[in-house]
Amino acid sequence: MITVQNLSKNFAQNQVLKDISFEVEVGQIVVIIGPSGTGKSTLLRCLNYLESPTSGSIEIGTAKVDAGTATNKQISSLRKQSSFVFQNYSLFANKNALQNVAESLITVWKEPKNSALAHAQTILKQVGLADKADQYPSQLSGGQQQRVGIARAMASKGEVILFDEPTSALDPEWVEEVLVVMKELARQKQTMIVVTHEMQFAKEAADKVIFMEGGHIVEMGTPKQIFDNPQHHRTKAFVARAAKNAVTSFDSSML
Amino acid sequence: MQISLDVQYIAELLPILFKYLGVTMEMALWGFFFALILAVVLAVVKVFKVPLVHHAASLFISFFRGTPLLVQLFLLYYGLPHYIPALAGMDAFTAAVIGLSLHFAAYMAESIRAAILGIDKSQMEACLSIGMTRLQAMYRIILPQASRVATPSLMNYFIDMIKSTSLAFTLGVAEIMAKAQMEAASSFKFFESFLAVALIYWAVVVFFTRIQHIIETRLNKAY
Repeated sequence: MITVQNLSKNFAQNQVLKDISFEVEVGQIVVIIGPSGTGKSTLLRCLNYLESPTSGSIEIGTAKVDAGTATNKQISSLRKQSSFVFQNYSLFANKNALQNVAESLITVWKEPKNSALAHAQTILKQVGLADKADQYPSQLSGGQQQRVGIARAMASKGEVILFDEPTSALDPEWVEEVLVVMKELARQKQTMIVVTHEMQFAKEAADKVIFMEGGHIVEMGTPKQIFDNPQHHRTKAFVARAAKNAVTSFDSSML
Repeated sequence: MQISLDVQYIAELLPILFKYLGVTMEMALWGFFFALILAVVLAVVKVFKVPLVHHAASLFISFFRGTPLLVQLFLLYYGLPHYIPALAGMDAFTAAVIGLSLHFAAYMAESIRAAILGIDKSQMEACLSIGMTRLQAMYRIILPQASRVATPSLMNYFIDMIKSTSLAFTLGVAEIMAKAQMEAASSFKFFESFLAVALIYWAVVVFFTRIQHIIETRLNKAY
């Protein structure tokens, strides 16, 4: 359903994405891991055309965009095929939780206001925030804001939800409630591409794990292949380090 | 030299001048209304860098900020009708409103543009990510947030505009300053007449400054 071919992205002289190709099937959960600054977020942002790739092509559902010849119309239809969950939530500051979720239904999909709000309320309920509908983002905790962010992405009728480090900006105490929502979405076979440092989530929920470094896809495979039997030495080093960090943080939390 | 102030003359003049305050306020309100619309358009054109049009917007802003309001009013009312006959029938009040609108739109556009640029760019990205167009994002999300930032400076421009309407008397608009001028000329009590009109302007500005505070307090509570 999603086909990315030979995607590259340059910022001035700096090539941050190099010849990225991969595919995602309907209902698959793909997790992208790798060290910081290796282009994971840029890749995700390219899929939503928040960044314009320099070359290559992106196909999601019925929309296809070739970098370089992309028209505004193509970009707009590509964006409608996906929705985005931001690291820093980026909720609309002037709208309450319910209005945040309903916004795309009203503005993009032209649903009548009342049915859009009712629809949005159902989605808020799915992320456990039915009682926070009239709260503004500034009145919500980080974890609640990110759950509204996920609800907003769910409402926008995209085929795939793109998660850009959805738990990285959260205090540790709020991480779990966001992961619970994401795991529930995974269980419902919502197609998702997730950039994250939460290795446990990758192991439990992913159908496919992509390991990126230096703007390349170094290795991809099932969580079992990547975590238990990595082939490339860079993957081995990263997975070993991640495992060690997990143990360390586990130890310190036991103290 | 003995200073004598005819307080009673002022007391009698105040209610007379007050009747002309309506014209002054009408000019200021219409002027602000059109200036605000034009300023938002100019600001959005500049933020989006709309091809060609944004150069025209910059030129417009540069000219109307770079020349005195009085000169602009004279150009518009005494100058332009020579070349554009359609403007010949324009009355002084209309000319003053147009002149004030154009002049203040140039200033207000810059403060609205600054407010828009002050909104975190992730707000625009969030709009695009759910499929909104840039124009929808501007209208639904960015401008409502920017308006909160811009309100204090826009209110200042409104207050400035009330005072600037006094220049309309040079076009022959029968507003409060023109009336004060006439009274002064017939009574020779120049100081008293102009003091009276100053007091009225002052009272009006104090009134709107209070309103400004109330609006700002409300906006800060909104979210």
